[in-house]
Amino acid sequence: MSGNLVVMAVALLVWGLLFWYLIRLERRVADLEKR
Amino acid sequence: MPASGSSSGRAVWAILRKECRSEWRTRYGLNAALLFAVTSLASTSFAVGRMSDRPDVLAALLWVVLLFAALASLAHTFVRETEGHTMVLMRLVASPTAIAMGKLIFNLLFLVSIELVTLPLFLAFMGAPPPRWGALLAILALANVALAAAATLVAAVIAQTRGRGALFAGVSFPVLLPVLAAAVSGTRAQWSGAPVGAELRLLAAYAVALLAASLLLYDHLWEDA
Amino acid sequence: MIGRALLLLWIAAWIVAAFVWAPLVPVLGETTRVLYFHIPAAWVTVLALGWSMIHSLLYLKRRNLEHDHQAAAAAEIGLMFCVVATVSGALWAKAMWGAYWNWDPRETSIFFLLLIYAAYLALRSAIDQPERRARLAAVYSAIAFVSVPFLIFVVPRIYFSLHPDPIINPRGKVDMDPRIRVVFFALLLGFTGLYFWVQSLRVRVARVEHRMEERRGSGNVG
Repeated sequence: MSGNLVVMAVALLVWGLLFWYLIRLERRVADLEKR
Repeated sequence: MPASGSSSGRAVWAILRKECRSEWRTRYGLNAALLFAVTSLASTSFAVGRMSDRPDVLAALLWVVLLFAALASLAHTFVRETEGHTMVLMRLVASPTAIAMGKLIFNLLFLVSIELVTLPLFLAFMGAPPPRWGALLAILALANVALAAAATLVAAVIAQTRGRGALFAGVSFPVLLPVLAAAVSGTRAQWSGAPVGAELRLLAAYAVALLAASLLLYDHLWEDA
Repeated sequence: MIGRALLLLWIAAWIVAAFVWAPLVPVLGETTRVLYFHIPAAWVTVLALGWSMIHSLLYLKRRNLEHDHQAAAAAEIGLMFCVVATVSGALWAKAMWGAYWNWDPRETSIFFLLLIYAAYLALRSAIDQPERRARLAAVYSAIAFVSVPFLIFVVPRIYFSLHPDPIINPRGKVDMDPRIRVVFFALLLGFTGLYFWVQSLRVRVARVEHRMEERRGSGNVG
């Protein structure tokens, strides 16, 4: 059961990191668009 | 700029004759392709030996050798124009489609010439069982048309880029893959005694689809020449 | 902003559901979870390819560079999802059938898509002028458009199949436990949303890059 939860935690972590990266990217793009 | 039926036909014929004459003058492309085909055949035969009882392996090897020879040589019809800067002149006398059709037929003849040499050598070197000639020739004929159509189209695209041989091989491979799959399957079938109808239909359909796409796409290829 | 937060929570919630709420498929065992990621990734691969090809054809028709931005962006993103789908599929195959790769019809199809994406992007990288690049890439896209259906139909007839078709058929009906179905479609939706977000980001970057190229060009006129 707990092995399952470890994999789930990793999946959530990966998703969280990806999301954070994309948000940062969007901020940078919005900044570039203003210039 | 010509576009009507009979003059297009004449343009295609003129382009074809020009290609044949250019090629015959130096025979560079033909020599290189034949050498390449025979070399890959020799390497294969040397590495693998006789394969009399393995129609699946034989079919695969035959088409790998033919495909490699095609990839190595079919791009040069357009590269010649780019390097000689003769494309502009050709555009003055013929429509893009006519030019492409002329080169396509040339590529087809080119493939047939290579196969005339390579196929008998292959059968001999690899110890292949006698083929069902009707089926095998039909497969070869249709595969050649599809290969020529695909390769000419891709070559026309590649000629306008910085890339050369390696790019042509990589970019044309996905487009050639259906031909390879159907041809290998059909060749294996004709040795195993199975019917080849499905493969022939597939090759024919693909060839027709590619030719239809060609007629639509060649006009887009040389806007700025 | 709300859309982004919604996407974050949606996917996170359904990831949790995939692991603690949905049951296992009997034949697949512990590897069941892979299908929630592998199949949506494959779906996005196809979606992105379609998006790219449609915009390529639109470019040929209208010669608006915006279509080229869309086509190129979709190809890059599609490639990434294709790699995810291929790798997850290979790992799944290893766990299920003991071999990473077997050239069964689905594996062959996804590999073929990988080749198409790679060829398209390789072609683009070999051309410098934006208009020529857009035009040639679009022509190649149209050629690939002809090839794709042939490979999807050639392959099944020529090679054997290892894929668990009786249980999962991504192209058609989904024949499984209702909970699995819910999580699956929810993540399918989530992946689609993710794709369009990344797509829009990539296109915005392309527009900005193009604007900068123009400015640099006009500044050099002498």
